[in-house]
Amino acid sequence: MKVLVVDDFSTMRRIVKNLLRDLGFTNISEADDGSTALPMLQGGDFDFVVTDWNMPGMQGIDLLKAIRADASLSHIPVLLITAEAKKEQIVMAAQAGVNGYIVKPFTAATLKTKLDKIFARLA
Amino acid sequence: MTIAMTGQISLEQAKSVVEFLESGQQAAADAIIAEIQNPINSELFAEIGKLTRQLHDSLTNFQLDSRLSDLATADIPDAKERLNYVITMTEDAANKTMDAVEAIFPVVDTLAEQVAAVNPSWTKLMNNDLDLKEFKSLCLDIDTLLKNTGKETQHIHSLMTDVLMAQDFQDLTGQVIRKVIELVREVEESLINMLTAFGISAEKVQGKTTPKVGENLVEGPIVNTENRDDVVEDQDDVDDLLSSLGF
Repeated sequence: MKVLVVDDFSTMRRIVKNLLRDLGFTNISEADDGSTALPMLQGGDFDFVVTDWNMPGMQGIDLLKAIRADASLSHIPVLLITAEAKKEQIVMAAQAGVNGYIVKPFTAATLKTKLDKIFARLA
Repeated sequence: MTIAMTGQISLEQAKSVVEFLESGQQAAADAIIAEIQNPINSELFAEIGKLTRQLHDSLTNFQLDSRLSDLATADIPDAKERLNYVITMTEDAANKTMDAVEAIFPVVDTLAEQVAAVNPSWTKLMNNDLDLKEFKSLCLDIDTLLKNTGKETQHIHSLMTDVLMAQDFQDLTGQVIRKVIELVREVEESLINMLTAFGISAEKVQGKTTPKVGENLVEGPIVNTENRDDVVEDQDDVDDLLSSLGF
């Protein structure tokens, strides 16, 4: 399974990559914001996107909307891992078609639970 | 300032002035002029006095906030540098820690593999089920395992020390941030003083307002979740909210 991790902080990308690797995802690519991520997604056969919300350039929520609006990408599950914690934003993400929402700071166990849930739904 | 420009001089006064001037009595003519100007002057002086006082007060208030210019030209640029230092330090610490942890993962995995490899023979031995050839092979495997474990635990220990030492940023960044907080407090005070000088009540200024948010309501980490009802407190809140939306 090919995963794209999108976050403007390299340390957070590294943490998420390590956690994903522990959960058996080995084919992981990285992007530092939505505008870098989108062409990568359009050019490659990614199966899953983990993205931050607040990034310079294109934000995670806008990346999510762009993915849902693109017929060739709209099927890709998207997990938001973000410090954004306003109820209004969570509703916004749900309406935009997010598959999971993890609020930072988070734990490895939370990530595992959400991933299991997302892939159980898709199966 | 309203000074009536008509009705300040009578016809007699005007005539007297002309007479005095014609007869060469300059001093007497000046005296009449001074007499005419007197009410205008006193009103003008009162007005100038009032303006002077206001100007003086304003200048005093600005002097009180002369610290503001130091803050703007020296302290705030310095604070920006300090905060950048915090970003660098915390990033370095996170990377040092992850370097060590990522180096530990394969070591631990290798040890676990070697233990798993020895385990079947070991179980057989415990069950008195091992022949001599297998026993010799097991002895060699265990010998390797012991040597490796000894070496690798030392390696892990030194990596763990690296993780420990990477936490030294907390002390340094803590001091820097404390200094920046003090600066923010000072700027806040100066700004409130200035607003007060302009006649805007500080209470009104300090009144409850919510912080500015960016596009898509972006605000970053919320540090006072318990004081706000528009934010979630933890992952459970997120999950509850999402399930209430039918997620």
